Amino acid sequence: CENELDLQPEDNREGPGQVLQDPAAYKQFLAKVYAGLAVSGQVGPAGNPDLLGLDEGFSQYLRLYWMLQELPTDEAVIGWNDGTIADLHAQNWTSGNEFIRTMYSRIMYQIAQANEFIRQSSDENLSAYGIEDSQRAEIQQFRAEARFLRALSYYHAMDLFGNPPFITEESPIGAFLPPQIKRADLFLYIEEELNAIMGDLAPAPHPEYGRADQAAAWTLLAKLYLNNEVYLSDKGSAVADQSRFKSTSEYYSLAATNSKKVIDAGYELVDDYQKLFLADNDSNGAQNEIIFPIRFDGINTNSYGGLTFVIHASIGGDMDPAEFGVNSGWAGLRTTPEFVGLFPDGADSSDEREMFYTEGQNLEINSISSFSDGYAVGKFKNVDVNGNQGSDATGEHVDTDFPMFRLGDIYLMYAEALFRGTGDASAALPYINDLRERAYGEGNGLVSSITEDFLIDERGRELYWEAHRRTDLIRFDQFTENGVWAWKGDVPQGTTTAAFRNIYPIPASDLGVNTNLTQNPGY
Amino acid sequence: TLSGIVTERDTGMPIPGANVVIKGTTNGTTTNFDGEYTLTGVDLDDVIVYSYVGLETQEVPFTGQETINVALAPDAAILEEVVLIGYGSTRRQDATGSVEQISSEEFNQGAIVSPEQLIQGKSAGVRITSGNGAPGGGTEIRIRGGSSLSANNSPLIVVDGIPLDQRGVQGVRNQLNAINPNEIADFVVLKDASATAIYGSRASNGVILITTKKGKKNADLKFEYDLKVSVGEVVETVDILDADQFRNLIETTPGTDVGLLGTANTDWQDEIYQTAEGAIHNLTVSQGLDNFYYRVNFNHTSQKGVLKTDLYQRNALNTAFNYDLLDNDLKLTLTAKGSVDQNDFADEAAIGAAVNFDPTKPVYDENSNYGGFYEWTNNNGVALQQATRNPLALLLQRDAEGKTKRIITNFNIDYDIPLIDELRFNLNAGVDYAENNGFTFRPTTSATVLQNIPAEEVYWGINRNQLLDFYFNYKPYVESISTAIDLTAGHSFQEFYMSSQQRYTDEAVEGNWVLNPLSINRNALESYFARASFDIDDKYLISGSYRMDGSSRFSEDNRWSSFPAVSVGWKINNEDFLKDSGILSELKLRAGYGVTGNQEIGPNYGYLGVYTPSQRGASYQFGETFYPTLRPEEYDKELKWEELQTYNVGMDFGFFNDRFTGSVDAYHRTTENLLAEVPVPAGANLSDRLVTNVGETVSKGIEVGLNGKLIQTDKINWNLNYNITFQDLEITKLSLGDDPNFFIPQGGISGGVGNMIQIWKTDIDPTTFFVYRQVYDQNGEPIEGAYVDVNGDNTITEIDRQPYKKASPDFFMGLTNNFTYKDFDFSFTWRGSFGGYMYNNMQSATGFRGAGTVTPQPYYSNFNANVLETDFNESQFFSDYYIQSADFVKLDNVSVGYLIPGEKLDFRASFTASNVLTITDYDGLDPEIAGGIDNNFYPRPRTYTLGLNLTF
Repeated sequence: CENELDLQPEDNREGPGQVLQDPAAYKQFLAKVYAGLAVSGQVGPAGNPDLLGLDEGFSQYLRLYWMLQELPTDEAVIGWNDGTIADLHAQNWTSGNEFIRTMYSRIMYQIAQANEFIRQSSDENLSAYGIEDSQRAEIQQFRAEARFLRALSYYHAMDLFGNPPFITEESPIGAFLPPQIKRADLFLYIEEELNAIMGDLAPAPHPEYGRADQAAAWTLLAKLYLNNEVYLSDKGSAVADQSRFKSTSEYYSLAATNSKKVIDAGYELVDDYQKLFLADNDSNGAQNEIIFPIRFDGINTNSYGGLTFVIHASIGGDMDPAEFGVNSGWAGLRTTPEFVGLFPDGADSSDEREMFYTEGQNLEINSISSFSDGYAVGKFKNVDVNGNQGSDATGEHVDTDFPMFRLGDIYLMYAEALFRGTGDASAALPYINDLRERAYGEGNGLVSSITEDFLIDERGRELYWEAHRRTDLIRFDQFTENGVWAWKGDVPQGTTTAAFRNIYPIPASDLGVNTNLTQNPGY
Repeated sequence: TLSGIVTERDTGMPIPGANVVIKGTTNGTTTNFDGEYTLTGVDLDDVIVYSYVGLETQEVPFTGQETINVALAPDAAILEEVVLIGYGSTRRQDATGSVEQISSEEFNQGAIVSPEQLIQGKSAGVRITSGNGAPGGGTEIRIRGGSSLSANNSPLIVVDGIPLDQRGVQGVRNQLNAINPNEIADFVVLKDASATAIYGSRASNGVILITTKKGKKNADLKFEYDLKVSVGEVVETVDILDADQFRNLIETTPGTDVGLLGTANTDWQDEIYQTAEGAIHNLTVSQGLDNFYYRVNFNHTSQKGVLKTDLYQRNALNTAFNYDLLDNDLKLTLTAKGSVDQNDFADEAAIGAAVNFDPTKPVYDENSNYGGFYEWTNNNGVALQQATRNPLALLLQRDAEGKTKRIITNFNIDYDIPLIDELRFNLNAGVDYAENNGFTFRPTTSATVLQNIPAEEVYWGINRNQLLDFYFNYKPYVESISTAIDLTAGHSFQEFYMSSQQRYTDEAVEGNWVLNPLSINRNALESYFARASFDIDDKYLISGSYRMDGSSRFSEDNRWSSFPAVSVGWKINNEDFLKDSGILSELKLRAGYGVTGNQEIGPNYGYLGVYTPSQRGASYQFGETFYPTLRPEEYDKELKWEELQTYNVGMDFGFFNDRFTGSVDAYHRTTENLLAEVPVPAGANLSDRLVTNVGETVSKGIEVGLNGKLIQTDKINWNLNYNITFQDLEITKLSLGDDPNFFIPQGGISGGVGNMIQIWKTDIDPTTFFVYRQVYDQNGEPIEGAYVDVNGDNTITEIDRQPYKKASPDFFMGLTNNFTYKDFDFSFTWRGSFGGYMYNNMQSATGFRGAGTVTPQPYYSNFNANVLETDFNESQFFSDYYIQSADFVKLDNVSVGYLIPGEKLDFRASFTASNVLTITDYDGLDPEIAGGIDNNFYPRPRTYTLGLNLTF
């Protein structure tokens, strides 16, 4: 009876050799790579997690990315006492921080999933699985999207961790030790990948909203180039031939041209700023401004991360959850008085983008754990333009999509790229004033010139709580050695911190198992 | 008048306390300290009976002698006392491994629902910890502390020859409940590898062989009715603030709104607990004919929990039929244990809710939208989602029932092959089949139900475990070398199948029901095994065993592995120089080495990459269409067995004709290729963690068991049994890398999300706590937030967290007393545990002002009374202040009984108190909690049991 020991799964699980014979499986597999940004496992909202190292709800990609990009900045504090969460705003995290660790795991998980798609959809494998030629063109486009998603996650890894492990579809699957890549080498890799897939991606806008098109790849390229001085500050240590690096001004020029390509691709600003952050932002007009969303749905795509987290966690005190289309507040997130100060007249600003909730809240933060200290932020909501709650009748999970890339951001990037490259951003002024006009009403709030301070402050006002802040502050050298806000450095009035915190540490747990890795300086 | 001296034949020593009785009468006496007796009233043709426990009874006809001196020989039956050792048996005195038999007369008394409770505290090296106070609840059994980290640490349990599925059976609280404790004849615990290696890949955590009672040959038709009725009550509740203390605390905390306080004085813990009645009925019929004998038992058990709505019920039929054919050469045994196990599961979340719910609020509220129960609501009467739920409503507004029908049946053929003397063939065909189904229901009036239809879940499943094994046993005695040989060789195949499915209500989907896909998990194990034992000159013992296991859980390359063992013994008492010692009746030295395995790793297809489809809520939207997703799972092609190497040395001894006996064992174990769920290098696999062969643990221990028959006369018998165990376990390797500072956090706690209090790290015990060192003021009070800055960088970060103390004890012991005087008996069991620590999560989770006052919505919740001592404002979860000694001594049970023998009917009455007394310094409810984290523990009740037994 030794054959009885050859057991294979008998339920709905199958090995790749069986499941990938069905051409329809590829789109479901690709959907998993996209869903890697939105859900935390194979059962929503929780139950069969992708990652096991942290509570499933906490382990969701966007939730962690949002926390790491927002909590250490002037835009957000969180009052909870989960593990080392308080160290994020205090900027005194260590390599043992589980949120940093899980972001790192999640990014590498996402890359490994994308690699598996790329690996399985190679020509040899498609032949082996019996996929016919007529079906291959579509799979080829899926494959380019998987490469885009991999480049996006590598971009996050490069931005957050500097020098992450590096794996591609050529890497094995097992318990081997992946090599580490230098930040500047990863910069070149991402650039090369995005250029290589451009021809296989759909022209913008993609007929199926939510999928990455050429504009998404241009946006990512523009971000890469705009931050070149940060990412390539140590390019001398790169393994790659130094001649592959361009000059700073060339990079800013590329940032501007790629931004302009997006601007000319047919996207348009939605008339009302608030619409971008509502439950129906995939249909109320905002979808024409959003270049690349992470899509959520109260019934079909949910987790305890993503915007379910952001919306619930930002509600507390006297705020009525029903007004935000949810059943409860988790009383965690607020903002600092310094950020409130970016708006003229603070919480009474005539800038419509100012959405602070002040009733029962104090401007100053005496205690981070007390929800009433610090103004609350009511930017994201799970109601549609008419105020109706999203599709989940229980009010637990939200429909609101996260605008990861949107035209408003591109306008500001375009202006900044011109400003940094040539010192003259006047060609971008009309776009900037489109944003200002949307914020202040017709003919109001217009600006006539662009300065460095204006750019960083305007990015704060336009893009706050959209997970850009940390990257922006670093680019403007305001994140660590400069820039002070409440409780930065773990003191009430705030203090500056050491520059090494511009990148996060490689988690101690991975250094412990992967001897190929070297810790980032300072940790 | 007749007089004389009674001596022991082998030693010539006089025997004090031997019985001398005229046969058929009650006229008799006992010998004095010098073995002398005097008996009057003896008539010619009387027969005098001389007896003494452990020696063979002798009868001498009285023919008018003045003096009769007798020398009693050792009782051959005791010499031949047989213990099971897996695929066969051996004489107890020939066992070379660490093997311990615990028979029914030594069992714990009381209203025992789960079999393993019978032997709690009875055996050195065996630690049995009931999971909690739930009726029929599960138990953690650890033999030598367990050997693994992530794989199963429970012993293999073999019931009448069938190894049970180590994954357990779905739907029940404790899979051993299918075996009626009343029907268990004995337990045999195999501890060291030389004893367990015959069970190969499942033997690393020890093996427990359970044998149920059978009928006896040539026995009269016998009926027995046994009834145990019991009441249980909660001994103690968690020390929380009462309503006045609570009001005071809220009023003195800045920033609170006293308007939220109510006027009631509710003791929520009092509301959720009840007196738990229970009844166990056993009706047994047995009869033995010449070659057919049987035993049939019917059992009905009903046990309420001390938590309201908790109920366990069992109806079981146990049968054993034996048929001896061909002049006893062919023995057929059929055992079948059928049971219907029914549970009403209480919502144990009520235990935490009762500790947390505001005591100034009433239980009921006539304006409530929630079935008349008070709940925290907003101004519209809608329940606040984040608030604590009414504890009593959690219990009463839920119906959760489960039912498991199970049959464990085994057919055994034992055939003495006629042509060759001493050759025997044994075959077992067994099935353990269970079907379960159940549901959970909450009405829309429950505040926990968010949707507009009742929350309902229905689940069902099957467990099937099929066994076929056979072996040949050849047992010749070779005169020429005066060696008894015992050879066994056999084959076994076992397959485990498990399927389960659920559906639940969801108002957002069509038809309001979501059906989860059927989940099937099957694995199979094929084995070849052999054992050879030699007993040379009744002095020198050598035994070796070998098993080869193949498991479906590993790839073809890693599928097979072998598990050898060898052991030796030296019966020193049979050497000439000790043979006639009057003092020493047994002295045996043992030594053994063996390799065992552990394949209980969780996943069945861990070496295969499989794709898992997504279920509800995890689709992704492209355009207007939602696509279900496909996830490739992590896998380790190289996955293989965990391997444990054990060295064991032991000594068995007996004095004064085994009046005092004992054994000492010492072991050293190394687990290699440890199966652990560990972080994989990021990017190396399709998950952040992987079950893989990594690491190593080393455990050491000393076990001592002592037994004394302190008094042994025809009227009084007094036995004491004591055992003590010293254990030490540490991780010696943990990861693929070699960073000595690498660690994996363990032990999730309540308070915050994802917080862990324990640590796996090399060189320490896997239950070690990981904490900040609290700083205290001059009065010894903890200073809030002040910790020792271990690395001296002037800030407290997680680098300053240190390993400190551990949950597992350094040593533990048990003491059992059995005393009988005529027809009266008295027994008790004490247990003690020392050197273990507990994380008092009850204090840390709610023992600070912020716990009850800093809430996401307008409500307050209650505090642990510890807040009055620390006056902490914010959480200090990782302070070593909460690591508290869990040393304890427990009086587990005290029992008295009285037997009234009759002509046709024996009647016995007994009274037992269980969980009688706990002596400890630990502040929480109970110092004995598996894992070492005290968090909303379901209290173990104190139980009083009245037992009645009729035999006729």
